[in-house]
Amino acid sequence: FQQNRCNEYSPGNVLVSVNPPLLEISGSCPCVLPNKDTLVLCLDVGFSMSNSATGQEPPFQQAKKVIQKFVQRQVFAENKDELGLVLFGSDNTKNNLAKDDQYQNISVHRHLMIPNFELLEEIQNDVQPGSQQADWLDALVVCMDLLQNETLGKKYERLNIVMLTDLNTPSSPDQLDIIIGNLKRAGITLQFFLPFPVDGGGSNPPHGGKALSREQQQGLEMTKKVMMSLDEEDVTGVCNPDLSVFKRVEKRPMAWPCTLTIGSSLSIKIVGYKAVCEERPRKSWSVVDAQTHQKDDIKRDVVYCLNDDEETEVQKDDTIQGYRYGSDIVPFSKVDQDQMKYKTDGKSFAVLGFTKQSMINRHQFVGTQVLKVFAPKDDEHAGVALSGLIRALDDLKMVAVVRYVYARNGNPQVGAAFPCIKEKYECLVYVQLPFMEDLRQYSFPSLENNKKYTPSEDQLSAVDSLIDSMMLVEEDGEKKDLFKVNHIPNPQYQRLFQCLHHRAVNPSVPLPPMDPWLTTALQRPLAVATRCQAPLETLKKKFPLKEVVKKKELKTSKELFGNSCLGTGRSTSLAELFGNG
Amino acid sequence: MGRESSCGPYYQLRTQKGGNCIVGIPSLSSQELTSHLPKRRLDVYTSKIISSDKDLVALVFYGTEQSKNPRNSFKHVYIYHDLDLPGARRVQDVDGLRGEKGAQVAGETMGSGNTNLGEALWCCSNLYSDIKLRLSHKRLMIFTCRDTPHGGDGERDRQARTKASDLKETGVVIDLMHLMKPGGFDVSLFFCDVVSPPEDEAELGLQMEPCGKLEDLQKRVRAKEMKKRSVARLNLCLGEGMNVAVGVYITALQARKPNAIKLYRDNNEPVRTKTRLYHTQTGSLLLPSDTKRVQVYAGRQIVMEKDEVDVIKKFSDPGLELIGFKPMERLKLHHHLRSAVFIYPEEEMVTGSACVFTALLRRCSERNVFALCKYTRIRNSPPRFLALVPQKEEVDDGQAQIVAPGFHGIFLPYADDIRTLDTPQLPTASESQVDKMKEIVHKLRFKYRSDAFENPVLQQHYRNLEALALDLMAPEHIEDLTMPNVNMMDQRLGSLAQEFRDLVYPADYNPEGKTAPKRKPGEFCGTEKKPKVEMSEDELRGHVQKGNLGKLTVPVLKDACKQFGVKVTGTKKQELIDALTAQLTK
Repeated sequence: FQQNRCNEYSPGNVLVSVNPPLLEISGSCPCVLPNKDTLVLCLDVGFSMSNSATGQEPPFQQAKKVIQKFVQRQVFAENKDELGLVLFGSDNTKNNLAKDDQYQNISVHRHLMIPNFELLEEIQNDVQPGSQQADWLDALVVCMDLLQNETLGKKYERLNIVMLTDLNTPSSPDQLDIIIGNLKRAGITLQFFLPFPVDGGGSNPPHGGKALSREQQQGLEMTKKVMMSLDEEDVTGVCNPDLSVFKRVEKRPMAWPCTLTIGSSLSIKIVGYKAVCEERPRKSWSVVDAQTHQKDDIKRDVVYCLNDDEETEVQKDDTIQGYRYGSDIVPFSKVDQDQMKYKTDGKSFAVLGFTKQSMINRHQFVGTQVLKVFAPKDDEHAGVALSGLIRALDDLKMVAVVRYVYARNGNPQVGAAFPCIKEKYECLVYVQLPFMEDLRQYSFPSLENNKKYTPSEDQLSAVDSLIDSMMLVEEDGEKKDLFKVNHIPNPQYQRLFQCLHHRAVNPSVPLPPMDPWLTTALQRPLAVATRCQAPLETLKKKFPLKEVVKKKELKTSKELFGNSCLGTGRSTSLAELFGNG
Repeated sequence: MGRESSCGPYYQLRTQKGGNCIVGIPSLSSQELTSHLPKRRLDVYTSKIISSDKDLVALVFYGTEQSKNPRNSFKHVYIYHDLDLPGARRVQDVDGLRGEKGAQVAGETMGSGNTNLGEALWCCSNLYSDIKLRLSHKRLMIFTCRDTPHGGDGERDRQARTKASDLKETGVVIDLMHLMKPGGFDVSLFFCDVVSPPEDEAELGLQMEPCGKLEDLQKRVRAKEMKKRSVARLNLCLGEGMNVAVGVYITALQARKPNAIKLYRDNNEPVRTKTRLYHTQTGSLLLPSDTKRVQVYAGRQIVMEKDEVDVIKKFSDPGLELIGFKPMERLKLHHHLRSAVFIYPEEEMVTGSACVFTALLRRCSERNVFALCKYTRIRNSPPRFLALVPQKEEVDDGQAQIVAPGFHGIFLPYADDIRTLDTPQLPTASESQVDKMKEIVHKLRFKYRSDAFENPVLQQHYRNLEALALDLMAPEHIEDLTMPNVNMMDQRLGSLAQEFRDLVYPADYNPEGKTAPKRKPGEFCGTEKKPKVEMSEDELRGHVQKGNLGKLTVPVLKDACKQFGVKVTGTKKQELIDALTAQLTK
């Protein structure tokens, strides 16, 4: 079975997991199909969960945090996943299977439902450690029963059970095989969160902690057996090192079917997908009345008025639109504009020609997205044809320059389609390129020919040592990258959800400070920060810097503008002057 | 001869008055009364109108028979247009001077006479001083094809030089736009003393040709002129106590149509818009402080003050913070989110910045590494990470700058910005198929230039405006450079396309065929809509209770909103769902 290191439950502890993992780091999910999951959280609240070595958080508190963070994310993701909560080792008993002395101290705290803030509040206030104990295998059976009864006749993509326990209760292994069989049959996946590491056979004492009890060792063996027998596929699970990360709102990629054309007689069927694009939150803020908190109590009104002294109001219907043409404003009605505007006749991905990759400047990419272009899933002929183009371009180090139109009457773009060959797939990567009108050809004073700015050899070597000490990718061996931006969740949304959650549960309390993990994630890695100290000090000595005291108000326009537009003035080319640049 | 005072970097923000001005003063002599000259002036007008509509322009002819100027104190100087905003009327006036007929008109109204450039320059300096507005940039352009305007009259040459230096002292930049002349135009004969020298060349090391390219003027291309100005001036922090001042510039950004202006129908005067916020019940006007902000999640309304909403976005003070360096190959091609920015030192803010910057630029470039930085543009803007890619200066043979020195800041995506795709498993091409495609690629090679394509949407818009303003019968035709030249491509490919098709497609395969026919035969292009399915209230309530409104499509939800009179502000699906839920659970 797969063992994943996870720093959350407790530092250095281990998440034992089968596919699919509880947490998915962005990008590791094999596909983003519309899915609806059902998950039962099974939390051990037995008395042993309250025990801990001095200075350590009791397993119960750790487990509770895991659950809180998870539910939080589910609430904000607003997907349709349903969630149940089963407590075992609880003082009360509340489950369908309880009979006589069977399945005692196991309580179904919440049936399958879409998680909400009430659940979060319940977990915060009502879920407390108990004084009893219960068999974790019994609890597992209760969870399976819950899943089976409450998903009857509904469609679910996945059924999951997550166990959070210290395995510190005697458990009878007689039914183990039957349970495994049932799990398999029902297609239920299982995950364990344990407050101790399991690598090294499980019998070694965890560093800094107590040695495992006999029950724990026995439990661990059983867990391993369950996981091993369930694990049929390759486990690709990745444990997100930090549970505080809100799961990103998954969007179903929209397919854009089109035809790639080269001249009039060569066509290849393609499908484009947005691959990279700035993700924005699904919800925006709405304005409400400060007293009633009602949206309907507020109305926003736009009025039009003439530019006279009385500010005479005019009706919207009495206005038309126009555009400035020099000193004149030319009335140009929407209707006329629509009639006269440039029109395109449909979607297009037409090759205009091919050019060397080196002719395309990376910094001149425009637009707000990157498309990946594949052949349709079920069309192997198109696949071969597109593969031919991709490989030819890759060999020749060239790109296709294409005209791209998203849909009829969409604005045409000119962009570059780069070949991209990966181990598992091939595609074209399309990026929009600028039009002449988009370019601003500013010139800047030379830095090379100016003696004042020319660094000495001494200074250059100081810069060299700084670069050496601040390399984020280690040259030797594995080439580990210490700072991968594409693995950092967008801090804006992490912070937003943290504050939203806080405010939802504590309406009248000021907003909390930023989560420390988030602050750390956005900083220079500690190793680098330490390493660069000395070179940085040298650099400071070699390069004197002096802040210029700002003059209060610059009086003449010459002063005001002369400084800020270095390199304009006489050097402005005529092209720039007349806007031809 | 033309003159311009162009806006300073911050000018348009400050006031609408006294933007830029150009005064055009072509010399008129018999050989110059050709169709050439006015055409060029017209182009200056029309492109100036598009590029910066707040510039003042005047047009003055010298070397005319007639004189027309205030008090008529200058002989042979004809002010055709006083310094003012250029408008449609003026374009038409100049248009009247085009062609042979135009030359005739010009000959009749102004005639051709003695040339006295000194007088003309004096007249221009009066034009400038008559303007009460503060002009940020003044530019004067001399259009001529005579390199010895006074035919060797030393006295007039001297007078002209004196006037020119007077003008230059008052901050006027004089440009020469010499036209074609048989035997070449020799600037050194006279005009080198008249035109402004390249500004601060010693300091900036920038050298330009004495005269810009005239063909640029002839290009009938309309583009909004962008003044060079930084979007932010901040500190690039290399480490604690090591702050280098830099300016952040934008060098490529999608140009859009200028905004429309609302006009009053009766008199075509612009109207102003006022937004008011008032209480629905009491009707009283509300101040921004009388409102709060909410978002609804899982049925719970979460309320925040506007300030809180803003401050949530604050992570650190504006600036660039160096995280470290990475080899260039770590910068992924597909990691693109938006247009890059350009970073250049600001010596005026922190002395010594340019030197550190130069050293960093040089070493990064030589070692082929980029700097990774955290970028906070303004207060309350969440951080983004930039890859600072070094770019060394490049100059052409004439020492003119082609590529500016500095760092390009490439915006890097966060985990949320990268979408996971389900990649299809398909067969790959064989070597012979790839080779055939290589032949095709080879045939269709061209040299890409980033300024080779014009935006047909914008060009059409500007021409439409022009046509309306100038009462043209039809807008000038635009050449759509985004369209593939199919005939030429087919011709170049010859039989290659067929050969490739034979190699990859079976005989019965149609690569143009639709995989899934969207319309049934017999129906016409998507004008008809599906009949609306009205949902009963019970049905809808059922959906709300079960919480599966999300299953419905956006159009259905919108219809439902209309049907039940639910007001929605947004169009996002979640907002529709929230609005409906709120309404039906009341």
